Amino acid sequence: MAATMVSGTEQYNFEIVKKFSIMAVVWGLVGMSVGVYIASELAWPIMNMDIPYITFGRLRPVHTSAVIFGFGGSALFATSYYIVQRTCQARLISDGMAIFTFWGWQAAIALGGISYMLGYTQSREYAEMEWPIDILIEVVWVTYLALFVGTVMRRKQPHIYVANWFFLSFILATALLHTFNNLAVPISLFSMKSYSLFSGTQDAMTQWWYGHNAVGFFLTAAFLGMMYYFVPKQAGRPIFSYRLSIVHFWALSFLYMWVGAHHLHWTALPDWTSTLAATFSIMLLLPSWGGMINGIMTLSGAWDKLRTDPIMRFLIVALSFYGMSTFEGPLMALKDVNALSHYTDWTVGHVHSGALGWVAMVSFGSLYHMIPKLWNTKIWSQKLIEIHFWFATIGVLLYITAMWISGITQGLMWRAFDQFGNLQYSFVESVAAMHPFYAMRAIGGMFFVTGMSMMFINVMMTIRQGKREAAKLHAASHGKMADMASA
Amino acid sequence: MEWLNWFAAFENTKPLALVILFVTFVLIVYYVFGSRKRGERLESYKNIPFLDDESETKEDKK
Amino acid sequence: MFNFKHEWVETNIGLLLVLTMLAISIGGLVEIAPLFFIKDTVEKVDGVRPYTPLELRGRDIFQREGCYLCHSQMIRPFRDEALRYGHYSLAAESQYDHPFQWGSKRTGPDLARVGKKYSNEWHVAHLVSPRSMVPQSVMPNYPWLLSTELDISDITDRMKALRLVGVPYSLNQDEYDANVKKFGKETADMLNIADARKNLIAQAQQGNYDGDRSSISEMDALVAYLQVLGTMVDFRKYDDDEFVKYR
Repeated sequence: MAATMVSGTEQYNFEIVKKFSIMAVVWGLVGMSVGVYIASELAWPIMNMDIPYITFGRLRPVHTSAVIFGFGGSALFATSYYIVQRTCQARLISDGMAIFTFWGWQAAIALGGISYMLGYTQSREYAEMEWPIDILIEVVWVTYLALFVGTVMRRKQPHIYVANWFFLSFILATALLHTFNNLAVPISLFSMKSYSLFSGTQDAMTQWWYGHNAVGFFLTAAFLGMMYYFVPKQAGRPIFSYRLSIVHFWALSFLYMWVGAHHLHWTALPDWTSTLAATFSIMLLLPSWGGMINGIMTLSGAWDKLRTDPIMRFLIVALSFYGMSTFEGPLMALKDVNALSHYTDWTVGHVHSGALGWVAMVSFGSLYHMIPKLWNTKIWSQKLIEIHFWFATIGVLLYITAMWISGITQGLMWRAFDQFGNLQYSFVESVAAMHPFYAMRAIGGMFFVTGMSMMFINVMMTIRQGKREAAKLHAASHGKMADMASA
Repeated sequence: MEWLNWFAAFENTKPLALVILFVTFVLIVYYVFGSRKRGERLESYKNIPFLDDESETKEDKK
Repeated sequence: MFNFKHEWVETNIGLLLVLTMLAISIGGLVEIAPLFFIKDTVEKVDGVRPYTPLELRGRDIFQREGCYLCHSQMIRPFRDEALRYGHYSLAAESQYDHPFQWGSKRTGPDLARVGKKYSNEWHVAHLVSPRSMVPQSVMPNYPWLLSTELDISDITDRMKALRLVGVPYSLNQDEYDANVKKFGKETADMLNIADARKNLIAQAQQGNYDGDRSSISEMDALVAYLQVLGTMVDFRKYDDDEFVKYR
């Protein structure tokens, strides 16, 4: 008995998966709480409190980094290490490399957050970290790539499961994006401050090539990898169509990289670039929906699971939000729609329907599936998952509805003319009109964070329960052995 | 690197993108859905996530 | 017969890696690389010059406080934006911006042409307490800008780094002469790295942006930067549709 248990734990490196899983939950709670705080600052500016470190401008990158790279990144490290080991039936090639990616990644996010509050920023959205932290990330990322590829090479069967393709694509694309978008010259070796290598138009294009593909590969391709493993596992049935997943993979990987310039419609970027981006954005709808359908149809014939299994509900609702935001995205990439939506809260709402609805929910589902297995126990409270689901769903809906209304209102107010052909509203009138929706958004966020705290408690209690059971089992087996020895 | 300018002209880029994309797409789709035997082989891979289940089956019964 | 097998890809991580790399590289290569080689990407236009040392420090503070998260600096070619903000932004106007500050969100108004629209006193009062000037504003107060002395110790390092990435700050006589030819003597003097500290102090004293000549505050630098935004190009010199052809 004891012997088989040892070999069971030795087969895979689950220690690293456990570490990243816990940090995903912790960063989720931290990052989303900061998000609620800065949302409240926009509704009630007194909350800036005249303290430089917590003004909206400095906290906003803390929020985005903590949720994208802290929560999302840790969830991806955890699930990719879990999936690559289980689908290749091979242990990670190096425990040392794995633990290095853990501490390196956590350090980068913590240092990033502190440095933003102190005012060190490259002012590139989602890539605000200054050059020393960028170098740390680069080293961690190359280690991650080597570890992942090395583990795939150790696999037991010839075929590489499709989830791993998505993870590979995500790792490669992120390496490419991170490297080129962060090219900069520091003002001295002992200063955090640097200036970007590119300027103006070229710099804008590079940044939004990065910015959109951070969404495309970090927040989409990789989470699709997660989906291709955990949806079938939780449903207890294989993916709807494996062949569709292959087409999905190539189309998504190829098309995404073209669409970044749709963030720069009507700017000083040449028209040919943004038209190209708009065209590809429309085409991207096809693989996106192909993937969504593939995920949802996996459940065909077992729809009743949606009623009984809250984890399944997280996963399927995540896919529905994915479908919705990948429809909304191409729509907003049309130049005429973009003329209205750009610079408004509509964009913010769109991002959050993807980030909260898709990324966070699919991670919640996956983590709830994985964590009990890692600690070899059952989830502490199934009921609490159920409640978490409803808090999360209400939170997202409140958030995106508020942002739709405020975004479209802003866009319309800015371009409204009176009967004499003058602007009908001053800018600040549009700001004042936003107040109720900013308050509503903050409340939506509070719902989401409340759900996240439930998850935190549930996960901590599950781990405690798992440890206690393991200790009991350990004691029992020891007791038995002692009996045998004395007999 | 002057040759890259060629890509900046719409009349070049649009058909080029269309041709590359479409041909590649058709090739992949043909490969994936073109032959029944290959299709069966590909579909068999969907069970990979369930291959290392022996250790869990006991505790998975809910 | 062409005998490619996708099976090779599925079973060979190296090949999968290479083909994926190829698939994800094409888009960026085709869209970004030409921007560096097509001359029309950035218009030829008179007046655009690099920032003076004081303006540069102001720009650093603009970045540090995350202003770009709520204020764009990119006016689009629409009638309402022309009325509200002025002529649409040109690529040339941000050619010395490392990094660009176009922004992506207008929680507050666009700032691409805010220069000279308000007095220095208005900016100072507004930055210290926005709601004293605009009651419905949701902008944070920035009182510390006025009380913090501007750090000018590394101004030459900053200009040297920018020179490395292509901004024509001059380090030697040749570069200085080229600047005189391109921008005129007065501007060329301002762009000379050796005189950076002197120029910075002189501009702050002369401009008296924060209303206090006794010391140079961060407010001096930020207001100097805001007051130059969008003022470099004199659009009266160009036909209305001069810049359309670059779009």
